[in-house]
Amino acid sequence: MNHTVAVTGLGVVAPHGDEPGALFQALLQGRSAIGPVFPELPKPAAAATAAFDESRWFTKLQLAGVDRVSQLAVAAADMAMRDAGLAAGHTDTDIDPERIGVFSGCGMGGAAALEAAYRGNGRVSPLTIPAFMPNAPAAHVAMRQGVQGPVLTYSVACASSSAAIAEAAKAVQRGEVDIAIAGGSEALIVPGVVVAWQAMQTLATFQPGEAAGAVRPFAADRSGFALGEGAAFLILESAERARARGARSYATLAGWGLSSDATHLTKPDAPGQARALRAALRQAGLQPRDVGYCNAHGTATRIGDVVERNALADVWGDDLDALRVSSTKALHGHLLGAAGAIEALITVLALHHRQLPPNAHCAEIDPACQMNLVAPGDTAAPSLAAAISNSFAFGGTNSVLLFRRPD
Amino acid sequence: MSSLKELQDLIHEKYGIDPSKLDPHASMRETGGLDSLALAEFLFAIEDHFGITMPDEDASIDTLAELAQLVDKVRAAKTA
Repeated sequence: MNHTVAVTGLGVVAPHGDEPGALFQALLQGRSAIGPVFPELPKPAAAATAAFDESRWFTKLQLAGVDRVSQLAVAAADMAMRDAGLAAGHTDTDIDPERIGVFSGCGMGGAAALEAAYRGNGRVSPLTIPAFMPNAPAAHVAMRQGVQGPVLTYSVACASSSAAIAEAAKAVQRGEVDIAIAGGSEALIVPGVVVAWQAMQTLATFQPGEAAGAVRPFAADRSGFALGEGAAFLILESAERARARGARSYATLAGWGLSSDATHLTKPDAPGQARALRAALRQAGLQPRDVGYCNAHGTATRIGDVVERNALADVWGDDLDALRVSSTKALHGHLLGAAGAIEALITVLALHHRQLPPNAHCAEIDPACQMNLVAPGDTAAPSLAAAISNSFAFGGTNSVLLFRRPD
Repeated sequence: MSSLKELQDLIHEKYGIDPSKLDPHASMRETGGLDSLALAEFLFAIEDHFGITMPDEDASIDTLAELAQLVDKVRAAKTA
């Protein structure tokens, strides 16, 4: 039988802090966490970094060989488990560790460990490889939570953690695991990675003192994104199981769609994105007009935003105006491998609170991106019943998650 | 010359393990909680601290006292 997939826990370490409610409030108020970084670089750089006290989660000894990307994952996953009432030794003592899985997205891995190796003048830490490997975050989450089921890492660039959540949902739906710890982490705000992204010509340009408003999704004057770091995890389990143990359900993960453009490595493709959108709707058994909010991929690149708008217009057709859209990357930056997870978490909170985070910094919409963008101050959505989160990756992989209010 | 005190200080600074909590003759793995990865990192820190190169063949070292003895030997060879 197919189980209904419930979201029963949320955990996050984000540029706006490590409390989901505070993160959501900051987004509703349009507060940007993006600021200037690395003034020593030749070209001005901006990013959204997370304030994180690793001593809350690790002793100094436990930190041996644990890169920041894994530290953020361990913290966010632990908070998600606690939020679901599943913290180790807490309540649900009948959980079989072999029936818990970790499904985690990571685009790069331990960037700080690799940067330190390059910059060490020949002195390279013997733990560089275990710190750097992209599956380290999932492994550390598994060790911390005692997870003995599938512990998997998905590396699909910007869609990594969205795809991880989709795969986790599949495992819960089929009854392969009872509990899925699903999300992702990314921590690559180091000079070497920032200059590489600058060279790719996808980062927002900005005047001195104006970094906070540099990312302007769907705006006529947009110029790209800013990197962000953080981790977010959702706890997924069957709705029956959640009900039986009296757990709170934030939302139902009712549909997910995965597709590939198979056209170009970095140029997005509207038909490919539309296939993922339709697949998610089909699985949820919903029509486009049933979905009231889209947390867009919205990287604020010249081409990306237009392509995403065209994909939504293709699928929503005459109902496009009824779909309210915002890209929260304007405020928390692009978390790359963790983007799908933090944006899924934000989408779940939007459904839960029936409030929509605004599409910030868009003074004048690009006519080619004409959509019903969520305006600052117009965030109420009292009848919101379903919402989607889009993640479209370099490499052409598209992932769409569709959440509904719980029954 | 004994490097023991400096090693105790180093392990305290690096891993927060107080010298009184780790008997120099006890197993660093079993008593100190240093797994193979933490030990590898500690040896790397020792090399940085003393400006020496530790030999590769001493994987059998299990106590801080043994480690101090080896560090003494390497430092003596360096100054000789």
